[in-house]
Amino acid sequence: MVKYIIKRVLQFIPVFLGVTIILFVVKTVVPGDPIKLIAGDKALTPEVELQLRAANDMIETDDNGAIIYDDEGNTIATPIWKQYIHYMSGLLHGDLGTSYTRKQAVTDIFAQKYPYTIKLAIVAIIIEAVVGIGAGMVSAIKRYSFWDVLVTLITSLLVAMPAFWLGMLLQLFFGVWMKDWTGGAFYLPISGASGEFQDWVYYILPAVTLAAVSTAYAARIMRSQLLEVMNQDYIRTAKAKGLSRHDVIVHHALKNALIPVVTYIGIDFGGMLSGAILTETVFNWPGVGYEIYRAITQRDWPIVMGGVTLVVIVVLVINLIVDISYAFLDPRIRFGAPKDQA
Amino acid sequence: MDKNTDMPIYAVDEKSGAQGGPVNQGSPEPETTAAAKPTRTLWSDAWGRLRKNKLAMIGAIWIIFIVIVALTCDLWAPQWLGSPTQIDSSQMSELSKLPPSAEHPFGTDALGRDVLCRVIYGSRISLSVGILATAISTVIGLVMGALAAYYGGIWDTIIMRLADIFLAFPYTLFVIVLIAVLGQSITNVFIAIGLLGWPSIARVFRSAILSVKENDYVDAARAMGASDARIVIRHIFPNSVASIVVYATMNIGGAILTESALSYLGMGVTPPTPSWGIMIEDGQTYLATQPWLMLFPGLAIITTVLAFTLLGDGLRDALDVKMKDA
Repeated sequence: MVKYIIKRVLQFIPVFLGVTIILFVVKTVVPGDPIKLIAGDKALTPEVELQLRAANDMIETDDNGAIIYDDEGNTIATPIWKQYIHYMSGLLHGDLGTSYTRKQAVTDIFAQKYPYTIKLAIVAIIIEAVVGIGAGMVSAIKRYSFWDVLVTLITSLLVAMPAFWLGMLLQLFFGVWMKDWTGGAFYLPISGASGEFQDWVYYILPAVTLAAVSTAYAARIMRSQLLEVMNQDYIRTAKAKGLSRHDVIVHHALKNALIPVVTYIGIDFGGMLSGAILTETVFNWPGVGYEIYRAITQRDWPIVMGGVTLVVIVVLVINLIVDISYAFLDPRIRFGAPKDQA
Repeated sequence: MDKNTDMPIYAVDEKSGAQGGPVNQGSPEPETTAAAKPTRTLWSDAWGRLRKNKLAMIGAIWIIFIVIVALTCDLWAPQWLGSPTQIDSSQMSELSKLPPSAEHPFGTDALGRDVLCRVIYGSRISLSVGILATAISTVIGLVMGALAAYYGGIWDTIIMRLADIFLAFPYTLFVIVLIAVLGQSITNVFIAIGLLGWPSIARVFRSAILSVKENDYVDAARAMGASDARIVIRHIFPNSVASIVVYATMNIGGAILTESALSYLGMGVTPPTPSWGIMIEDGQTYLATQPWLMLFPGLAIITTVLAFTLLGDGLRDALDVKMKDA
């Protein structure tokens, strides 16, 4: 078990390094001079421009930060590998640079944005767990019934639907067509902007939109897992010794069927924490995804780079936690049997 | 694989070897036995099963319908519904935002263009992105998966870690960042979606190869001196092609969804080219007053993606592919 955890943690390191290298390559091939982006419309004096280049690790400086010149009096461009080391050391010190457009430290910006994303993800994951597992169970227990067909139909539709379109559809239905009943609370909610309704109202539609596709997948996985487990020998034994169908499902089948579903939901939580660009854009939700999207459209590379780095770290850490708890939940891994996944 | 299918292969190969030809000339397919019986290949069997699957057939018919519409719309759509892109400024005020009617079945948009016409032309973008991006990911995925599974060891470790790295990025975010770097164009949409789709296909193909590789006929081919490339192309690929076809079919739907998301965010094709995602984005402004502007392109996306999913499900059952990790 300890061996498994250590192995898993060690696997994390090359993936993380690979991610930072890819991000760095992406950043260096970006067209356009970053100094011009920082300056925006302002004209820069040559001195200021040099200082900016030095501050952004684009030209060589000595230990005191003074610019180094070569014999002909020109500045020396910092080699790519050195820029990568600067980037990594900044990263490890919790420094992700400064935004071009907001003139604020990237870490400060995300410290403001992350709470919105986290709160939304928590509401969404609760919806996903309750509705997904519930619908999947009903579907499996009442196989081929009306409810099973309904769940299958709805999950197929949700999986084929663009999330942003579903978000608009919900706004249209609850905010426009049902306006008299809802008081318009659901139309284009810009989180807490109007202050007209209590905060939680503004979470409903974005959370449902964010949860929709994953809920459909969770329900499907729950259904197929429960059906598969119900076919196994130990369930037949439990039935044969005279347990009621209810007891068989609750005490024997459910425990094993839930493991893959919980794993899926756990990994999905990581995905939600990485900022749902589409959901956040449809609802103008001031979270991480929307901020990164805004930064991309404005070529604000420090926010893009810093944001994606943060998001990837969150995803990797959550996947690591899920994998380790999976090992705790599943005795087959706990006792060292190979995990039978491709 | 059972022994029965292996035996004739040995027999045929030994015979042709004995007849004096070079060893690898012997066809691995048991042609002689196939000629004796009416031809029942994997594909004819699968077609027989697929035909009975109503949902899959509905999906297939819808896909064929859309493909025909996308290929032929230049011949009939403009005459009937007007241009999908050009704006008639003289009539714009009368034609703008008309509700659905007999003349304009899906209504008109803010600039007076027919929504049905734009939905029809939008299918071109969606289908071409779906198919081309899937083709790119499939080719990369096949090569990577084959290298990883066939050579194993260090190749396997490197390629699978690389796949992990790609999968660690949030997908939509990574596609958008890539487009921002490559520049916004339809070609780069193909490339970005295609480039990021390979890890899952590589995984599927890798596990398919790993299971086929264990078969005796692969050892037999190797013993007869067949090259690695020949073994992969002649023996392993035909035996894993079913899972690739199933996976690629389902992948097309996913690529269509991603394209619509990119266009919605303004990172895909550039206006005035009609794309379902762009139309939804345009329609968002008029959500409260002219909801048909976003409803119809959305329905087009759902039906098309659903059709590919249904066909993929049907193919999976018909070809008896066990999908793991997909």
